[in-house]
Amino acid sequence: MDPKLLEILVCPLCKSPLVYRKAEQELVCKADKLAYAIKDGIPVMLADEARKLNDEEIAKL
Amino acid sequence: MNEFEIDKKEVRRAFSKAAHTYDAAAVVQREVCIRMLEKLDVIKLQPARVLDVGSGTGWGTRQLGERYPRADIVALDIALGMLQAARGTSSWWQKLFSGNRQRFICADVEALPLAVQSVDMVWSSLAVQWCNDLPATFAGLHRIIRNDGLLLFSTFGPDTLSELRSAFSGVDGYNHISRFADMHDIGDMLVAAGFADPVMEMEKITLTYADVKAVMQDLRDIGAHNATSGRAPGMLGKAKWARIVQNYEALRRDGRLPATFEIIYGHAWRVPPKLTADGRSIVKANFKL
Repeated sequence: MDPKLLEILVCPLCKSPLVYRKAEQELVCKADKLAYAIKDGIPVMLADEARKLNDEEIAKL
Repeated sequence: MNEFEIDKKEVRRAFSKAAHTYDAAAVVQREVCIRMLEKLDVIKLQPARVLDVGSGTGWGTRQLGERYPRADIVALDIALGMLQAARGTSSWWQKLFSGNRQRFICADVEALPLAVQSVDMVWSSLAVQWCNDLPATFAGLHRIIRNDGLLLFSTFGPDTLSELRSAFSGVDGYNHISRFADMHDIGDMLVAAGFADPVMEMEKITLTYADVKAVMQDLRDIGAHNATSGRAPGMLGKAKWARIVQNYEALRRDGRLPATFEIIYGHAWRVPPKLTADGRSIVKANFKL
């Protein structure tokens, strides 16, 4: 994931900063409990395509 | 969802599917891009980061890269397939000399995943006509543009495809063509969103076609066929199609069928606020201590 892109990306819903999970290739919004996938190096920042996270996963972050 | 609301999933599906045929069919798109580039000739801003909203196959994005060789160019599109196609069409020498300056984000312009004041210029060619809430879209773009930064865009006006609209009217109760906002209303929306000095222009581009099927095929190829929620659920019946063809054929001139596109161009600046959020004025004074 491009560091210059990471600098400016926020959650499309609440506009808060994201956590980059390198191994999972995901960008996580803790507030909205959503994980946005990075497909082929391109972040897919669409809420209805994002994976919903459970509380356990959130606690681990 | 009202009947005119744009179904975003349908937009995404149609454009991802059209990613490989789009460049051949999109004569209008390219023409509009060229005219927008001409507008940039007289704008002095040297942006460090440019965002291309609704980048499509990336033709405009590549022109921006050549125009601003030292800027970071970020391409944003709702269709992942379009972005993948755009990345694939950069030639090896473009990739070599651009030093990885092109970046890609799959997102909806109505829910921008970008930080406050993170870009110097937003460029958007024929994309915001897909938005359901244009005032909110402009407010969102205003949020991400830096002070003294620029928004430059083009969109379709209400007279777009007037021939097709009239051919379809009265045939059934469904919407066959998306409806578009008027230039003056768009100017007002820009001011309401906080932009300063909006400049709006309009022009009409007419393409001619051999038959109605070719008109429809071209719309499908650019992914711009109807995506409103009130669209007809299936195929049109034979009788209805015959009536549409008959209506459209009445417009034939010099052996060709016209299809008119009303193009609206606009640009506006983000300026530092003159009032605080609670309405007090901000007065700048240059003191020397």
